[in-house]
Amino acid sequence: MELGIHNLRKRYQNEVVLDIDDLTIEEGVITGITGPNGSGKTTLLNVIAGIEDCYEGKVLYGGKSYSDEIKLKTTLVFQKPYLFRRSVFDNIAYPLNLRKVPRDTVQEKVREIGNLLSINDLMNKKGHQLSGGESQKVALARAMVMEPELLLLDEPTASLDPESVVKIEKSLTEYQKWKGCTVVIITHNIEQSRRLCDKVICLERGKVALNGVL
Amino acid sequence: MEYIKQGFIEAFQLLLQFDPEVYDVIGLSLFVSTSATVIAAFVFVPLGVYLGIKDFKGKKMISRLIYTSMSIPSVIVGLVVALLLARRGPLGFLGLLYTPKAMIIAQTILVIPLILGLTYSMAKNRGVAIHKVAKSLGGTRWDSVILIIRELRIDILVNLATSFSRAISEVGAVMIVGGNIKGQTRVITTTISMMNSMGEYPMAIALGTILLIISFGIHSIIYSYSQEE
Repeated sequence: MELGIHNLRKRYQNEVVLDIDDLTIEEGVITGITGPNGSGKTTLLNVIAGIEDCYEGKVLYGGKSYSDEIKLKTTLVFQKPYLFRRSVFDNIAYPLNLRKVPRDTVQEKVREIGNLLSINDLMNKKGHQLSGGESQKVALARAMVMEPELLLLDEPTASLDPESVVKIEKSLTEYQKWKGCTVVIITHNIEQSRRLCDKVICLERGKVALNGVL
Repeated sequence: MEYIKQGFIEAFQLLLQFDPEVYDVIGLSLFVSTSATVIAAFVFVPLGVYLGIKDFKGKKMISRLIYTSMSIPSVIVGLVVALLLARRGPLGFLGLLYTPKAMIIAQTILVIPLILGLTYSMAKNRGVAIHKVAKSLGGTRWDSVILIIRELRIDILVNLATSFSRAISEVGAVMIVGGNIKGQTRVITTTISMMNSMGEYPMAIALGTILLIISFGIHSIIYSYSQEE
């Protein structure tokens, strides 16, 4: 799903935090968003995800405005994931249950995504009792299981140990190649951008300072 | 001191002998307060969560109104309900005054602000993060409300126990709308008040003890459940 952002302005108490005239995020690639703290990265992701809906301008998803149909094809993984007070399996199955997917298919899809992220051994544990790295993987699995056309990630590997970072990056790359979805990832790590991203957008004070390939 | 000691001895005799009058009063108290809490919770827990996670104009004013109404005196609620249900009142044709139904109505109105306010405050502080996750996974606002209720169930149960305690321990509203009629609308608190004024301490102590046991039992069950979770 290609993303088109046109004349986007987002204000917090009269202060402009996002000011983007024209920006296109290509379909089927991994795009990194980088920039200093307070540059508007998370706000941009929240706007794209439909979490922030009070802004000026247009965000088009494959040429269409945000709608219930787009909402079901888009998901966002937060920097600090919130896992429900239920088993890991139920956490991952949640978006499928929302979509009334049959129980057998839910079992199959959850196992499939569990294999990809190597978390099948965690399935019976409670979501809120996991470590930071495990929680992040489960949150990623919960997003991936719904097979989104647009996957948004807000610093998914921040505060994780190097081993977990490698595993999550590997799973993400494999998943993106497998499903061909559009991925937008916020990262502070230039090396991670080089490893993961096909394109990089750098934000500074809410404006696009750089848009290209590293 | 002797009359207090004697009061306790006779109180336990009343309880252990399963005195029908005592247990009728306890049964009606439990029925009225449980009904009021359940009826109020059924509507106002989801509404509290919904208002807590929704941004709308005038939310600050609504917050103040909700929090202020939490401290409304029970006699005021009783008086208003009595005026409405009195024979000459707008709802007098229903013939509900001095019945357990009138007591349930009064206690429901009494616990609504508490259930709404506590749930609203909890959803405003902790429900927004859950709402964002539900929304990011494709859920509607109604899905968020259900999810938040499930996620914060322990806190909601504690809120309901607090509201039930407020209902079962109040005396003003049930006295006014129930009239403390023996065998019909006499509940624990109105009986304690009456027995105290008559100098009949054993019955008052027995019912006071039961009131404390009920409160202790409910909070113990919730505490055990939260520990298991």
